[in-house]
Amino acid sequence: MTLRFKFILGVAAALMLATLPWFASPTLIQFGISTLLLATLAQGWNIIGGFTGYASFGNSEFFGLGSYGTAIAMVQWQLPFGVGLIFGVLLSVIFALVVGIPVLRLRGHYFAIATLALSQVMTAIVSNLEVAGRNTGLVLPLLNGDTLFYELSLAVLLLATLTVLWISNSRFGFGLIAIRENEDAAASMGVNTTLYKVLAFALAGVFSALAGGIHAYWITFIDPVSAFDLSLNVKMIIMTVFGGPGSVLGPVIGAFVLSGISETLSTEISSLANLFFGVVIVAAVVFMPRGLADLMRRFRKTGWRYFSENVKQHRL
Amino acid sequence: MEQALVVSTMQLLSQILVNGVLLGGLYALMALGLALVWGVLNIVNLAHGALIMLGAYVGYYLFTLLNIDPFLALPLSMAVLFCVGYLLQRGILNLIARAAMFNTLLITFGIDVVLTQLAQIFFSADFRTINPSYAGSNFMVFGVTLPLVRVLAFVVALALTIALWLFLLHTRLGRAIRATAQNLGAARLYGVEPKAIYALTFGLGAALAGGAGDLYGVVSQINPYIGATLTAKSFAIAIIGGLESPLGVVVGGIFLGVVESLTALYIGPTFVDIASFGILVLVLIFRPNGLLGATT
Amino acid sequence: MTPPPLLEIRGLSKRFGGLVAVDDVNFSLASGETLGLIGPNGAGKTTLINLISGSITPTTGDILFEGRSIKDLTAFKRARLGIGRTFQIMKPFPGLSVLDNVAIGALFGTSETAKALRTARDEADQWLELMDLSRYADRRADELGGPDRKRLELAKAMAMKPKLLLLDEVMAGLNHVEINEVIEAIKKVRNTGISVLVIEHVIKVIQRLSDRLLVLHHGQQIVEGKPGVVLADPRVIEAYLGRRRA
Repeated sequence: MTLRFKFILGVAAALMLATLPWFASPTLIQFGISTLLLATLAQGWNIIGGFTGYASFGNSEFFGLGSYGTAIAMVQWQLPFGVGLIFGVLLSVIFALVVGIPVLRLRGHYFAIATLALSQVMTAIVSNLEVAGRNTGLVLPLLNGDTLFYELSLAVLLLATLTVLWISNSRFGFGLIAIRENEDAAASMGVNTTLYKVLAFALAGVFSALAGGIHAYWITFIDPVSAFDLSLNVKMIIMTVFGGPGSVLGPVIGAFVLSGISETLSTEISSLANLFFGVVIVAAVVFMPRGLADLMRRFRKTGWRYFSENVKQHRL
Repeated sequence: MEQALVVSTMQLLSQILVNGVLLGGLYALMALGLALVWGVLNIVNLAHGALIMLGAYVGYYLFTLLNIDPFLALPLSMAVLFCVGYLLQRGILNLIARAAMFNTLLITFGIDVVLTQLAQIFFSADFRTINPSYAGSNFMVFGVTLPLVRVLAFVVALALTIALWLFLLHTRLGRAIRATAQNLGAARLYGVEPKAIYALTFGLGAALAGGAGDLYGVVSQINPYIGATLTAKSFAIAIIGGLESPLGVVVGGIFLGVVESLTALYIGPTFVDIASFGILVLVLIFRPNGLLGATT
Repeated sequence: MTPPPLLEIRGLSKRFGGLVAVDDVNFSLASGETLGLIGPNGAGKTTLINLISGSITPTTGDILFEGRSIKDLTAFKRARLGIGRTFQIMKPFPGLSVLDNVAIGALFGTSETAKALRTARDEADQWLELMDLSRYADRRADELGGPDRKRLELAKAMAMKPKLLLLDEVMAGLNHVEINEVIEAIKKVRNTGISVLVIEHVIKVIQRLSDRLLVLHHGQQIVEGKPGVVLADPRVIEAYLGRRRA
């Protein structure tokens, strides 16, 4: 009963989102596209960060590879967008495998910083590549069709969310959760930790690269700094943590809520929006470290004590 | 003819090495606070670069508004940042002291964003430099040019590093801090509350960042966004040198400085980040206890 | 021709830098047998278990499981062959429910990789029942206390259907009553017919559980045999019990 109800609710929400372009203003559609892409990034981060517990500060690398893969295929080799998108995803997966195998052996701080350093290396490498247009970047062919981009972004987000839904109910997902909760114990219980971590990293890479490819074609211009934008990591992590890491809908809700608020704020002063992100992450980690999903589940029982209990549990 | 070429190549190389070593001394000071906080509180402070940035602005405003020489302003900059660090630990980080490592990373990341954005609002995004009258002075030793401010910055950075080392080795508080790195309760043996040690250590780490920032403002341009790269470099240095002693950090800093100078000359300035962060990733993978650390 | 022993340790050594933690240890374990491993702190007991389960690799020597060398296999492969273990410092998956903690053992402990989540949970249910944990099935694992947590650890390992179970100081931190409870739980486990290698500090426990005892001291095995004989051996008393009585 509740399962069917959830299913119907999900389909209804997806349909409502899909029909948005027919009655919304162009600005709202554009806001929608960027929010859907951010939600996709958050959902991708959720797989490696939320389920597997590996705090990647380098998922922007996948976004950048997706952008550049698409752009290079379209601009340098005159291939259609679809092929470019696949090329970008391919680059991203190869990167996840080649880099993931050594880097995912690192734990905790070491993994986080290695991914952070790698995204800086990627920016520097791309700015020295002729085929990627070096520092000046690439200009993609112009396509006026925000509705198309919107529906495409929505489709990718749906795909990512369905994948996460499958993960949360599968043997694979349980393996990832076991790794997050205690990696040594997971290995001693038969979880192929290396394979699972690399697969999770690659899967996160696939969705981030799709978002990157769509974004590049939509914006029609990319350069190393914007494609490998470090602040994208900030956003996808905050949205996931705020919504509820390791949950199915948390990252999506987190992305919608935070994008909405930051959009409202940035019409006032643009730097206020980023400041807001910083404050949210600090407050969320202190008061609701398990995210909105957990808050909504338990707030009814505990009331406002929910926040003070979280603080009590973790302070010195 | 050929001999002259050899001589000038040698001279160029020694100039590059000297530049690298001078830069490395400052790098070491930057990394020192990060390594201290990491070793004692087990927090990798992603806001460390932002604290360096703040220290640089303190130095900048003391110089432009009050006309205080940046080298004299150093203690002030350190004092201001000590307070910032102390309050950050007491007010925020303390609240999640027992949370998972991931949460401490996230929260310092959030603090980094907040500090950077506040700096942008209050100080604007323009590039600034601290420009005392002697900023352009050089002197020559054995045919190698030594920029005065860089030499001074190097000497001060080294002096602060040694001072910290002596403090940790020979004072009661320093011993309590080192004991806390092994075991939180151990601080009590020295008659100090562990909570106080945490806040003091974080304050000390921030003060070192403040000092490093003040010097950085003299030798380089600053803006609100320099923090992220400096955090990553500090981390690289701490990893290369290991967390055991300030000496390791000095070696790590000089190593990175020399590598960057050599890369800029022989491969190209745009490859500097590839080299330094590439080394970081390689060291992380192959020698997670540092180049000088014990092998496992 | 007799079948090979379930587990055979041949000349096994592990060095950490200058320290020899395990030094040329040899023994074997038959199917259905329970072997107790004792020795003072730092004797190398946990290192030995880590070597068998694959968390660390030996410096020299070999480990044979069902006649086949496993020393180059990773931990997860050994787990799937049928080696289950518990940890001295209990390692439940804290954020998961008690049921799902055990279900993970059922999901991953076998070579059968297509097992459905529902089947795994059903199997987990049975182990919870055997270990008297059914009423906690939906609790978070980190909410369990003392003996319940130990029984959860046993249930997790047993859900993997191991042929060999390595128990690393399961009794640590329990009082007398709780120890008796957990001994009963371990006996239930043993009665399923599997082999057990048990490390324990509490002599009473090891006497009641083991068919045979092996004493480690400074990484070397000094005595091996029936519990009564071993515990009366003067070398053992000197190395281990003597110091405790003094």
